[in-house]
Amino acid sequence: MIRGQISNLKREAMAVSSIWAVANNTIKQVLRMKIAVVFVILLLVMLPVLGISSTGDETLKGRLQTFISYGLSLTSFLLCILTITISIYTVTNDIKEKQIFTIVTKPIRRIEFLAGKLLGVILLNTILLGVFAVIIYSIAIYMPKFYKATSSELEQVNNEFYTARASLPIPYEDFTKQANERYKKLKDSGGLPDDISRADAINEINNILQILSRSVDVGSTLEWEFENVKPLADSIFIRFKLEALQDTPDSRIYSRWIVGEPHAVKTGEGGKTPVYVEDFRNLAETYYEIEIPSEVIPDSGKLSVVFYNYPSNNTVVTFPKGGMEVLFKAESFTSNFIKAVFLILSRIVFLACMGILASTFLSFPVAILLCLMLFVTASFSAFFLESFDYLSQNVGVLYSYTLKWMIKILPQFDKYNPTKFLVPARLVSWTFLGQCIFFMVCIKAFLLLILAFVIFTYREIAKIIV
Amino acid sequence: MNYAVETFSLTKIFSDWWGRSKVYAVDNLNLQIKTNEVYGLLGPNGSGKTTTIKMLLGLLHPTKGKCLMLGGQGSDPKVNARIGYLPEESYLYRYLNARETLDFYGRLFKLPAKVRKTRIEALLDMVGLKAVANRSVGTYSKGMARRIGLAQALINDPELLILDEPTTGLDPIGTKQIKDLIIKLAQRGKTILLCSHLLADVEDVCDRIAILYGGKIQTQGQVRDLLQQTNKRQIITDVISDSTVEKIKELVHAENAECEVTSPMDRLETFFIRTVETAQRQAQSTSGAVSTTKISDFLGEAKVEGILDKLVSSKVEQELPENDVTTEQVESSSSAIPEPNKQLLSELTGSNVTDETEKVKEELTEKVESGESQEAEQINTDILNNLVNRPESEEKKDDPRPDKQSQAGGDGGE
Repeated sequence: MIRGQISNLKREAMAVSSIWAVANNTIKQVLRMKIAVVFVILLLVMLPVLGISSTGDETLKGRLQTFISYGLSLTSFLLCILTITISIYTVTNDIKEKQIFTIVTKPIRRIEFLAGKLLGVILLNTILLGVFAVIIYSIAIYMPKFYKATSSELEQVNNEFYTARASLPIPYEDFTKQANERYKKLKDSGGLPDDISRADAINEINNILQILSRSVDVGSTLEWEFENVKPLADSIFIRFKLEALQDTPDSRIYSRWIVGEPHAVKTGEGGKTPVYVEDFRNLAETYYEIEIPSEVIPDSGKLSVVFYNYPSNNTVVTFPKGGMEVLFKAESFTSNFIKAVFLILSRIVFLACMGILASTFLSFPVAILLCLMLFVTASFSAFFLESFDYLSQNVGVLYSYTLKWMIKILPQFDKYNPTKFLVPARLVSWTFLGQCIFFMVCIKAFLLLILAFVIFTYREIAKIIV
Repeated sequence: MNYAVETFSLTKIFSDWWGRSKVYAVDNLNLQIKTNEVYGLLGPNGSGKTTTIKMLLGLLHPTKGKCLMLGGQGSDPKVNARIGYLPEESYLYRYLNARETLDFYGRLFKLPAKVRKTRIEALLDMVGLKAVANRSVGTYSKGMARRIGLAQALINDPELLILDEPTTGLDPIGTKQIKDLIIKLAQRGKTILLCSHLLADVEDVCDRIAILYGGKIQTQGQVRDLLQQTNKRQIITDVISDSTVEKIKELVHAENAECEVTSPMDRLETFFIRTVETAQRQAQSTSGAVSTTKISDFLGEAKVEGILDKLVSSKVEQELPENDVTTEQVESSSSAIPEPNKQLLSELTGSNVTDETEKVKEELTEKVESGESQEAEQINTDILNNLVNRPESEEKKDDPRPDKQSQAGGDGGE
């Protein structure tokens, strides 16, 4: 029994040694054939240049945001292209140049050969990603020193850039039931247009009810309650954008914000923590952030936010979708940056598996074109999916059962775009990162790999030459 | 009977894109290669030799039939661990140097680091690439690439060696070295499947051959049986007087047979090797592979015996069998004359000739042996055992040809 286990362990160790031999050889291949050189040089030159040339809105925060946005996007893009290129090159070249004849005739399973290739590609890209991430991080951290930032600028970037803020949006309310009731009433009273379908009508009613729930009448208040507000810093922020139904007298909206423990906000008394009350006048259609001291938050983490629409506005004020959120520091910039890098790494692992799969049955040019096409589609998946909704109904049906389905199978790179989080200093939550790794790597990449193993195990490696 | 390689109605049909059968690359092939046999697969280009080998190795799937190597499928790693394969061209990673190349293949065989290192050095020495071992193989000439290809095929000490056109691109010395190596490996119990259209190579080394055409075996059998002209006899002697020649002629005529007497010509191969050897003795530089000239010299030395033993993992022979003596004679530039039929010669010319030949042989043997004491041999065997990491008893157990070798050893002692 024990002997059997030992021999099993030995066998596994030996398999690992063959996989490592192939991986090691793959790294040598990519480095010595100078495939990665162009990408590495480009990044080594571009990142410092971006550090100097990024100006944004001329503020330090703007510079940092521009640099992190371009730096991380460029690194991610180039490494993704490199991953696709080398994962396909390394397998198809071995098949084309026939070195594979001398490998698969050695005591190595074809699965081990592919696993070795994959490991080499991922390892190399992980190292490169690590190096460039360190460069980007260092430039981002030292940028305030290069520009001799003022203390107010420093305070701003500390609060709004070098942080990882959790976001609590307006709680979602489900109005389906009310929409159905309203539809029934309207239908009974004959108040519906003839050419509208039931689904469209209910959808439209639902939308209106959603907007109404985010609207504040003249001289009225709107209240939201949030839970688990546990900031690591001295301030929390309310980020909002307002829309006015009619123009206000001086094109500004006058409002009062009341933030504090729910009971104290409602009754105005009895709270252990202070209540924040402040009046503002803001332009419509513009995002603002209000800084609120963390001391207003009770230990329970429950927070009430009230918006008051001053009568002088003389118009209904509406918050657009995503137009109000409570932001607070939940983690450090460094941990958020590392998580963002893991988002890129997940992408690289998926692309490496996709490249390996393509190279098991396609030649280099065909495989690379296919993978690039899929990469672009995955990078703009939201755009593509949205665009199908604008197609006419007949064509839309055709696409929704073909292309739309295929795009949904692909991972959504745009959803897991790291710059989307680092630029506004949003927290990449562990749940979000876990979700990304689970779907992109554990499910989708793994399935591609299984398919690659099956195809490669049963395909004929050689061609018949007669 | 256990066969090292066996195919059963092996067929490979080349189909077009629509799956319609087009060409029979291999057609109903039944091969049986015995263990410890040098088998030559001959045929013109496109006759199905390489396709057969690729099916054996699992690189192509048979359309019909099946094939076995060492009792298993070619795609089984356990079988692959006991096979060495040299493809029709040395497909190597251009960016690796010779040492790294061999190390890579050694790792695929899961050889421990120590064994790998000693085998790599031994192989580099054997194929004459030690001096250029740190150059990337992309810069190698075709012949040098072929040598490193051969080295990778031998790194696991294979039981079955499949060589597809092994001498392509090699210079005559390299060709001869490979042929000598094949003979040596066969003597040490290896089975060798040789695929070639260079007939001279095959003729020199193969026990049995098959000639393929159109994917079918046209003929097969022992080389000697197929080529021997049984209605003629050939006598080769050292320089003898005209009167003796006349006597022989008379004897021949007495049997109503025709007789032709000429001086034999050197083979161009022998002449070429001699010329290069002379140049090497004058220490002229080369950027290519160093021809290690004589394999028999190479094997006689303690270090080199170690190399070969490591490669073939068999007991070291104390004296080489007859074939090797002939090879040694060719290389020591005495002549390329095949061994005479001693009995017939003694009948024709009296017993002097045989005695003389044996005397010369004895002297030669003694001279060679005088350089090595028994103690040295024991040390060599110890080194060998260390190198291959196997106890002596196991080594003996693995020895596939104990009778033949002990016989050879016994001859040496006489």
